[in-house]
Amino acid sequence: MNPALSEKSTTRFRPDATWHTLIHAAAHEVFQMMVGTEVQAGDFPPEPQLGEVSAMVGMAGALCAVFRIRCPQDVAANIATKMLGGQGDASQVCDAMGEICNMVAGNFKGKISGLSDQCMLSVPTVVVGADFNVYSSSQERVEVTLRYDGKPVWLTLEISS
Amino acid sequence: MKPIRVLIVDDSAVMRKIVERSVRQAGIELQEVLEAGNGVEGLAAIQQCSVDLILSDINMPAMDGLEFLQGLRCLENAKNTPVVMITTEGSESRVVEALSAGARGYIRKPFTPDQIKERVTPLLEGVR
Repeated sequence: MNPALSEKSTTRFRPDATWHTLIHAAAHEVFQMMVGTEVQAGDFPPEPQLGEVSAMVGMAGALCAVFRIRCPQDVAANIATKMLGGQGDASQVCDAMGEICNMVAGNFKGKISGLSDQCMLSVPTVVVGADFNVYSSSQERVEVTLRYDGKPVWLTLEISS
Repeated sequence: MKPIRVLIVDDSAVMRKIVERSVRQAGIELQEVLEAGNGVEGLAAIQQCSVDLILSDINMPAMDGLEFLQGLRCLENAKNTPVVMITTEGSESRVVEALSAGARGYIRKPFTPDQIKERVTPLLEGVR
């Protein structure tokens, strides 16, 4: 079993002013390398509660959190198509968004010294649709908004402990 | 180098396609590509057909990449096949664990074709 789960972690990682920048950097690298698209900081309104495509990955260990990427359906479809070199179809949107979320979360934790070894990621979960609410026991959150081909992508890290 | 047979193990079909494309972009000619969605399927595929290279994720349902590595070492036709792990789990402990279990290399997602070339090509020298 991974040490992150087999041993009680003594260090709890708390968000600081750098985490916003680190999440942005992690996402930028993933979109550049795996999607072939440069993302910029976005100035869109706060994340709406409209159902679109939400991909989530759990983080457990020295950081207990849920990392979420949310975007409109057409953006998710575009991301999937680009990841597959123009050959993607609608059935692969969830798979693609789950992988993007997984890679951004993994890349982010790798940027925080000492965290990577003490924090495990779950397999991703993807929700599509409008009729749902998210309840979380999170105490803190870090939010980053990106501009992808002129459209919004919202990234949220909800920290439980 | 002659075209090779490769097995790509990842629970994401999208990622399997990306890995295949990246291997081709790295200049490695592929004779045949086998795909599996987890370690159980990977072991079943290997028992049907030997390959020259295995590229595997770690976090997968049913059987993860480390268990898959252990299973491979029990198969006569795969115990010497080079395995490179491609995963988001880039922690030092996971790298050590994978290398101890027999992996010959480790690539963190996200990755570029150049990184595939750098890590994989040396393992293929003398293959086939």
